[in-house]
Amino acid sequence: MVPVEFYFMLACVIFTLGLFGALFRRNIIMVLMSIELMLNAVNLVFVAAGRSIGNLDGQIMVLFVITVAACEAAVGLAMVIALFRKYGTVNTDILRLLRG
Amino acid sequence: MTALWIMLLAPLVGAALNGLLLRKSPKIVSHLVAVGAMTVSFAAAVSVFLNMLKNGGEPQTYLAFEWLDAGGFHAPFKYIVDRLSGLMMLVVTGIGTLIHIYAGGYMHEESTTYRFFTYLNLFVFMMLQLVMGDNLMVMFVGWEGVGLCSYLLIGYWFHDDNNAAAGMKAFLVNRIGDIGFLFGIFLTYRHFGTVSFSELREMIGAGALDAVKLGAIGWITLCLFVGATGKSAQLPLYVWLPDAMAGPTPVSALIHAATMVTAGIYMMTRLNFMFYLAPMTMQIIAIVGAMTALFAATIALVQSDIKKVLAYSTVSQLGYMVLACGVGAFEAGVFHLFTHACFKALMFLGAGSVIVAMHHEQDMFKMGGLRKYMPVTHAVFLVGVLAIIGMPPFAGFFSKDEILWKAYIGGGPVIWGLGAVAAGCTSFYMVRLLCLTFYGEHRGGGHGDHHDAHAVHAKKEHHDHSSHHEPHETGPDMWGPLVILAIMSAGVGFLGVPHVLGGHNIFEEYLKPVIMIPEAAKEHWEFLEASYSHSLEIGLMVASVVIMIMASGTAIVLYGRGPAAVLGKWKASLPRVYDTLSNKYYVDEFYFANIVQPVRDTAEFLWSFVDVKIVDGAVNGVGEMCKFIAGSVSFKMTGSVHRHAMVLVVGLVCLLSVLVIN
Repeated sequence: MVPVEFYFMLACVIFTLGLFGALFRRNIIMVLMSIELMLNAVNLVFVAAGRSIGNLDGQIMVLFVITVAACEAAVGLAMVIALFRKYGTVNTDILRLLRG
Repeated sequence: MTALWIMLLAPLVGAALNGLLLRKSPKIVSHLVAVGAMTVSFAAAVSVFLNMLKNGGEPQTYLAFEWLDAGGFHAPFKYIVDRLSGLMMLVVTGIGTLIHIYAGGYMHEESTTYRFFTYLNLFVFMMLQLVMGDNLMVMFVGWEGVGLCSYLLIGYWFHDDNNAAAGMKAFLVNRIGDIGFLFGIFLTYRHFGTVSFSELREMIGAGALDAVKLGAIGWITLCLFVGATGKSAQLPLYVWLPDAMAGPTPVSALIHAATMVTAGIYMMTRLNFMFYLAPMTMQIIAIVGAMTALFAATIALVQSDIKKVLAYSTVSQLGYMVLACGVGAFEAGVFHLFTHACFKALMFLGAGSVIVAMHHEQDMFKMGGLRKYMPVTHAVFLVGVLAIIGMPPFAGFFSKDEILWKAYIGGGPVIWGLGAVAAGCTSFYMVRLLCLTFYGEHRGGGHGDHHDAHAVHAKKEHHDHSSHHEPHETGPDMWGPLVILAIMSAGVGFLGVPHVLGGHNIFEEYLKPVIMIPEAAKEHWEFLEASYSHSLEIGLMVASVVIMIMASGTAIVLYGRGPAAVLGKWKASLPRVYDTLSNKYYVDEFYFANIVQPVRDTAEFLWSFVDVKIVDGAVNGVGEMCKFIAGSVSFKMTGSVHRHAMVLVVGLVCLLSVLVIN
């Protein structure tokens, strides 16, 4: 049986990949995907930890997270489409409406 | 007691009909509704009055509905029917009805008569609240209500700024008095725990008032008197009444001569048992009354506007009534109130007819010779003048001499002297008015210069009547009420023929039960009951008649053949006096410079400095500060999502590391 620490390490790697992707990719779709990656890394931790201590709460929580993530992806992608229609781009270097 | 409710509600129904439902209907309908409401009200008042007499004039109270009931404070809408309020309701509804009838003719050129009659009916309703209420709160409702209607009617022709300003002046000056009245109510409740007239009367009649309560009564009566100086146009708050003449003439007759302005006298008489307990206040009241009577009478000597003369005359006559109250002769004050309501309403309406006939000219120097054109108006006006100057046996003779007699025994020769000189002035200016208006040559040429206040109005008038060039008698709808008032002015005096002249002074006997001198004050007022030598009373009477005849004679000699010669002489020989009088002692200017202007300056300061600089400054300053701070760091906001996310992550890491290290 694979020790639970391995799952944690894998989750850390995926999370970091997602984090860096979210911070440095300029394409909003890639940013969204990176966020999904981070969420799934967290899911992995939940499942692994729950399993190792014999508790179902972790898995239930994951189901919620997946549901919310699905909604978030739908809304997020809809916004991306709206952005593209209005500005003709999904590049975050150009979409800087909050500049002070 | 249905009649009472009908009397009280009929004017309100009339006002509601005219104001809400009949706005689009023809003028004649609004007039008929208003007159109908008043007639019903008057008929009901007569029935209530007769019923009250049948019961021996005992005070009866009728509860309409509970109103204010908070803790110990209890003020229901309760009405009192007794000899005093019975008399007042007859005056208000009776003279009110006549004036409503007259107003239809006077206002027939107006386009918004419904508005006029709404206000007028509402006024009568409010006046009835004032005189019928059984506690100070209901009286206060009426007190403010009549003030409101007065304001609305003075500013009836509000398109002219002067009229609107006059309305505002009346309202604001009255407000000063009302503060006094309110404080009087507060103090009454604080010291007696009730504001009901009947309960107060019982409480004070039972005697046993401690020093604190007696002291309080001094202040209460003083505060209430301040209220009376506002409403009844006494020194120093009389200034609004002459300006109130900007309103239509029937309004001047009803509100500013016959009814509303007598509210102060009514209120003092209603609470006479409290005023008797405050000799100090009474002294002030007597002096203020006598001074006002003389002061206003002297101003009236030189005014050229016919309504202004009547206005100052009203102030002066109100002074007499207040003087009567001040010397404890409340019956005499109310008697004069009653006779004055008849003859002053008559004269105002007569002046209204003259003004209509002269195509809205109010300057007496441009009138003259109207006797030829307006025989009926002349005749009734003559009766009114004879009544006010105190020609025996017209009404004014009995009421005024009663007051002067009481002033002599109660206030001493000085007070009597003030009153007698004022009576002389009254005779002079009234005969002068009569001469300038009705006798001599007619001086009204063309329609060239109209009175300012009516310029707009007059233009329309001019257009309508361009074919008429001579003054003309008014129709019977206008002189009819005048004839009735003239008969009353000539006759009502006989209700108060004094004992020395072989009468029974029915009026005084009638009001006796309303007056109550508390035990504690009996000694101070015993002169009212004492007997005096008849020769003294008759002597004073003869003296005032002689003064009257001399003053009238002087006026006839001076003005009988027109004003031209006299005026020059007057002005040349006494320029100072003439100017001072015709500028009304510069009181308005004094108030303007010392009260109005400082108030305006303060307001200006509060607005342009305190409000704009400090209040707005603080609010805007906070905003500006935020904007400045935000502006100075806003370059950090690049608008890049990634940078925001990076900051967020770094912050999170920092927080987490702190947690982990701890």
